[in-house]
Amino acid sequence: MDIFLEALLNIIDPVTLTYMVIGVGAGLMAGSIPGFTIAMAIVLTLPFTFSMPPAQGLATMISVLVGGLSGGLMSGILTGIPGTPSSVATTFDGFPMARAGEPGLALGIGVWSSFCGGIISAILLVLFAPQLAMVGLEFQPWDFFMLVMFALTVTASLAGEHLVKGLIAGAAGLFIRTVGEDDAVGVGRFDFGSDYLLTGFDFIAVLIGLFAFSQLLSDLRNPVTARNALSDRKQVKVKIEHRRAIGILFRNWTVVIRSALIGMFTGILPGAGGSIANILAYDQAKKAAKNDSKFGKGDPRGIIAPEASNNAVEGGALTPLMALGIPGDITAAIMLGALLMHDIVPGPTFIKDEPALAYSIYIAFFLASFIMIGMQSGVLRVFVLVTRIKTYVLATVILTFATIGVFALHNSIEDIWTLFFFGILGFIMRQFGFPLAPMILGVVLGNIAELNLARALAIDSDPMLFFLRPWSLFFAIIAIFSMVFPIYQKHRDTGSLLERFFSPLVLLSISLPLFMMGGLLRTTLAFAAIAVSSFIMWRRFSKTKKG
Amino acid sequence: MLASFEIREPDYGVLSPAAWPRIIIIIIGGLSVIYLIQSFSTPQKDISPVPKKTLKEFVLYWRNVIAVFSIFALYLLALPYLGMLVGNILFSFILLTVLGGWNAILTHLVIALGASGGMWILFTHVLEVFLPRGSLTGF
Repeated sequence: MDIFLEALLNIIDPVTLTYMVIGVGAGLMAGSIPGFTIAMAIVLTLPFTFSMPPAQGLATMISVLVGGLSGGLMSGILTGIPGTPSSVATTFDGFPMARAGEPGLALGIGVWSSFCGGIISAILLVLFAPQLAMVGLEFQPWDFFMLVMFALTVTASLAGEHLVKGLIAGAAGLFIRTVGEDDAVGVGRFDFGSDYLLTGFDFIAVLIGLFAFSQLLSDLRNPVTARNALSDRKQVKVKIEHRRAIGILFRNWTVVIRSALIGMFTGILPGAGGSIANILAYDQAKKAAKNDSKFGKGDPRGIIAPEASNNAVEGGALTPLMALGIPGDITAAIMLGALLMHDIVPGPTFIKDEPALAYSIYIAFFLASFIMIGMQSGVLRVFVLVTRIKTYVLATVILTFATIGVFALHNSIEDIWTLFFFGILGFIMRQFGFPLAPMILGVVLGNIAELNLARALAIDSDPMLFFLRPWSLFFAIIAIFSMVFPIYQKHRDTGSLLERFFSPLVLLSISLPLFMMGGLLRTTLAFAAIAVSSFIMWRRFSKTKKG
Repeated sequence: MLASFEIREPDYGVLSPAAWPRIIIIIIGGLSVIYLIQSFSTPQKDISPVPKKTLKEFVLYWRNVIAVFSIFALYLLALPYLGMLVGNILFSFILLTVLGGWNAILTHLVIALGASGGMWILFTHVLEVFLPRGSLTGF
């Protein structure tokens, strides 16, 4: 209780609250401007939090995150252009509803769905993270190494047809992190006699370069669109209809809960974020509807599902970060950067060792959702003003800001050179279709992977242990299947062997490490996996015979 | 890969400091070969023809990107002499004018002064971060 009070006092401190209000406002703005992603807003917030105490810094970043996740709906509903990839599905019904003369209601449904999604995922984060951390206490260096490999392969596999490009990007990210003194024995690598390279690239400068600089360059590439503003609207006279929206949400509470759960579990999966969750939740809402004829024409459920799910994603993404030290998506990876910046290394003992900080994260997550509700109406007016600013002006100001922010990290001009170099690299990779998410995850997780590899081999030099220990084998199996997943997707509805036996094979394979783990629950799960797998195989065999 | 052979081998530790980077380089090499094979095995009909560009067309197409790269590189080289305040005002003013045209030069000047000056005040006076002073300007 004392720890909870300490955390609460940390967050309700007037300075922290002010930063949170500014953070939510900035997030709402960043999320609402197409082309300026939430990750970019978070990464640009990092330098500001450097001089703050950890709880204050994290609360500010969480506020930007919560604001950003909700900001995308404003642009999507009012202009038909989603502000972020996580609000793409919101436009399917939000924009038609706004055009049909109900923009206030559409915004109200979106805002309250975001709020509910955020609160549900915050509750689940509080409940799940300590449980997952307890499981994480079983992990040894072999398991952590394989967990990082799984995080990288699953993120790369989300690149779909470009799996190889995703894997190359992930490996390149790991390589970038090897420059400088290695963490295990302190020997310099790839420094070429430079003192700066000996200390290694500052990974926050790398992240800002790869993500923000390259994104700005992409936005500026076309000279015509660079001189355009997002919208030429002079003003928007919209009053958010809170009461009607809440009524609709109550009547569709099942859609809210189902979508929040989809968002939460998508977030837990490394690499999968709001951009996937909102489409998945929309699709599920449509499939579950008794009458789906209004979908695409302004159905409230078409707004509730994506907005509840995309706000729930972050609770999911923060769960593995707080419990295992492995981020669930890019934004969580940047949060990990913020923690490392304050010399706090999250892992299975994080919640136990830093309870005040963990509680501060929970409280900030709840509080930010309430601040977001309060600020939406006000930010709506500013949004209209910002959308009238020309892209090149916005990009130049952000680039100048990023430059000062990167310098402020270590008072080093070399860090700005790092920003510049990785900005070019990120831009080239974008142009050639290489996904940046695996690379960023590689940069963030590179030293964790190497340290655990070194520790594992120091304990026992037998490399086969990576495939003989239950958790390590579990992660290795799902890593392999995640790499096969894009091929499976390509063969769906073709009746091929891979399509028919992919899911039973996954279940059958994971039953082996579950058996090895022992205990009643895991053995039961293993038997259940075998039973389900056998049932699916039997059905598919009998279908083949009939066919 | 060659540079990885210049990494010092200490007498302690099980995993050599060169081992992890070499593993990654081998993986990148293997994946690059797969990528190359994939590129060659893609049927020609599935590849949309890329129209050839002359050097002038290429520069025109990428002119904004080239401008940002060049101005940013110049800004970085001049930073020790101009300092963060003057350097940022000049950088943002020149970039705004190159990207947006000469018609709104006064607006660009106001934005450059306001944004760069505002951020300089925020960082130096509110966040108390030391920003580099120029050897020529003293700011």
